[in-house]
Amino acid sequence: MLGVKGMENTVYIRMRNRVQVKPNDSIFLKDIAQIISREEIHSTLEKLPVHKVSLEDNNIIIIDVMMVVRMISKQYPTVEVQAIGPPQTIIEVMLKRRPVSYSLFMVVWFLLFIGSAITIMNFHEDVSMQAVHQRIYTMITGKQESKPLLLQIPYSFGLGLGMILFFNHFFKKRINEEPSPLEVEMFNYQQSLDQYVILNENKESLKRLDDD
Amino acid sequence: MGAGFVAFLVVLGVIPRLTQLTKTMKMIYLYEWAVVLGAVGGTLGSLRDPIFHTTAFITVPIGLAAGTFVGMLAAGLTEALNVFPILAKRIRVEDRIVILIMAIVIGKIAGSLFQWMYFIDQ
Repeated sequence: MLGVKGMENTVYIRMRNRVQVKPNDSIFLKDIAQIISREEIHSTLEKLPVHKVSLEDNNIIIIDVMMVVRMISKQYPTVEVQAIGPPQTIIEVMLKRRPVSYSLFMVVWFLLFIGSAITIMNFHEDVSMQAVHQRIYTMITGKQESKPLLLQIPYSFGLGLGMILFFNHFFKKRINEEPSPLEVEMFNYQQSLDQYVILNENKESLKRLDDD
Repeated sequence: MGAGFVAFLVVLGVIPRLTQLTKTMKMIYLYEWAVVLGAVGGTLGSLRDPIFHTTAFITVPIGLAAGTFVGMLAAGLTEALNVFPILAKRIRVEDRIVILIMAIVIGKIAGSLFQWMYFIDQ
């Protein structure tokens, strides 16, 4: 009986990884964590105010699980709080999103286009691709040809095909359902950014860093 | 030289990518042989200058395959340098990365065609 009673007095919380909020939102416990508790306190726990987003906050706020535990213990001194999963939640304040400027986008597009064209031409010059193509052409046909376009035009389209295959995108359509290397790369980059803000924006971890 | 070639292939991950796309992980040792035989064949070809006197149309699949391979190397290099995640985050177009990739893809095709058909003559 005691055991059951003890279990009923436990609150399990699991912090969410990333939460997006609007400026001036109030953040409640249910927004940043999943909660399991006994029925009577569940709805009050869900509406426990955790933070009010204000202008002083930058666009990243870190809520540490210890702070949440402290708040719950203050409200309900008898409950035991069990934290499972990530030790903090990253709150991203979605400031008014400036619309992406199309002119800037076009500039970047043009930059990539020209840069890509120039790099492949430099590469071809660097490795004497023209001479190699001429030799391959002669090897196969026995004829001399200064411009072996029959080899070179498929080669040029193959370049694009190879890149699309590698990135697994045929324009918008995917070849199979696995994430492309690019999506994995984006994910890894986001993880590194998260790791950085967890250590550097979290006041609790900063305190320890400042001491020594 | 051989070690450098293999290291290049490993770092850019072209073969893993191809096996992943075609789901042929079990055949990977045959792909190793393809690379080794290709390297040896290329070396022999460049040293001995054999001539086969066949039709010129065989150069079409050879050119396409050569281009695809170089394209995958180029894509692997772009990816290894982590260009897109940083760029997309900077100019905040996470949802339009595909259009940026197409800039590079079309740039590669256009640059290459321009070089073979016009630039060479200058």
